[in-house]
Amino acid sequence: MKIKIENIKKTYGERTVLDIEELSVEEGSLLGVIGPNGAGKSTLLNIIAGIERQTEGKLYYGENRSETIPYREITMVFQSPYLLHTTAEKNIAYPLKLRGWQDAAINKRVEELTEELGLVRLRKQKAWTLSSGEMQKVALARALSFRPKLLLLDEPTANIDPATTGELERMMTKINEREGTTIIIITHNLSQAKRICQNTALLHNGKLVEEGPASVLLKQPKDPITQAFINGELLI
Amino acid sequence: MQEIARGLQEAIKMLLSFDPEIYEIVGLSLRVSLSSVIISTCLGVPIGVLLGLYDFPGKRALIRTIYTLMSLPPVIAGLVVFLFIMRKGPLGFMGLSFTPTAMIVAQVCLVTPIITGLTYNIVKDKADRVRRLALTLGAGRRESVKLLIYELRVGILAAIVTGFGRAISEVGAVMLVGGNIVGKTRVMTTYIAQLQRMGNYDRAIAVGLVLLLIAFTINAILYNIQEKNA
Repeated sequence: MKIKIENIKKTYGERTVLDIEELSVEEGSLLGVIGPNGAGKSTLLNIIAGIERQTEGKLYYGENRSETIPYREITMVFQSPYLLHTTAEKNIAYPLKLRGWQDAAINKRVEELTEELGLVRLRKQKAWTLSSGEMQKVALARALSFRPKLLLLDEPTANIDPATTGELERMMTKINEREGTTIIIITHNLSQAKRICQNTALLHNGKLVEEGPASVLLKQPKDPITQAFINGELLI
Repeated sequence: MQEIARGLQEAIKMLLSFDPEIYEIVGLSLRVSLSSVIISTCLGVPIGVLLGLYDFPGKRALIRTIYTLMSLPPVIAGLVVFLFIMRKGPLGFMGLSFTPTAMIVAQVCLVTPIITGLTYNIVKDKADRVRRLALTLGAGRRESVKLLIYELRVGILAAIVTGFGRAISEVGAVMLVGGNIVGKTRVMTTYIAQLQRMGNYDRAIAVGLVLLLIAFTINAILYNIQEKNA
């Protein structure tokens, strides 16, 4: 799903937390959003997901530039996932039940996803007994269950060990390539951005500083702020 | 130690001998406690949910009041209810003095703030995360509310269990408004207090053990429901 942002602003009282003139995310692309804490990255994703509303500006979804948020085609995975107080498989099945899928089709889809994410032995396990890596895998499986057109990921691997991070990254790229799902991922891990993202956007103080192919932006940034961020310098 | 051992023997004897006095006391204790918990649940859960979901002027003061009432001393609740229902009180015409109904009213005053406060805390803690999740999974407004209720069920049941614990173990308020009248308002806790004053420790321990057994059984049933729902 294509996303087009025009003059979006989000303010809390006097404080502006997001102010982006223009940003386009092409259908089927995988965009990495980087930037220091408080840059407005999560606010941007929350606005795209429809969790928060922008104070000003327009946000268009799809080729026909609809302003209506297509809630049934978008999903989001958070840094600390919230799993329903039930088993792993019922968590994965929940969005499908919402969409009125038949039990047989739900079972088949849950089976596919649990196999792909190595969750087969955890299907019947209660969500609160899972490790943080397993929880994040279940959250990703749940998000992917209904084949969303836009997948938003807010630091999904921040609290996860390297092996599980690798598994999740492989799943993200596979879904992006195989199903053409547009993915926007917030990450603090620049190596991760280099590994999986086609494009990268740097936010600082709510503004879009620089955007471009990950291979270029992360190696030869044009903007001094991007350079400083990549070099690990403190941004003011 | 001897008294405890004798009390245990007495408790077994009491239950096996089907002592009608004891069964009447146990029955009234359960009737009063369960009635007050059901009424408090009907009042406390919706109020707690509304407080957790919506903001309005004076909400903070109201929540502080509820928290204060959660630790309301039973004798104060009993005294206030007594002053209202005594013959010369504003509700004296209802003739509730020294009746099980008065005992239920007093316990509702004690249990409702507990269930309200605990429900509010659960909703406050979970509602926003559940709402965000529901939205990102494509749930509509009705489905979001259904999901919230589903997610709160275990916490609400825990609040009810806590409320029941308060009701069944309460003595001060029911003593004041009920008066511990034989065959009319005598419940296990007031009977234990009376037996202790009379120096009948064996029987006091025996009734205490029966009370514990009943509390344990009811809590076990409620926790079993909670586990099945998890």
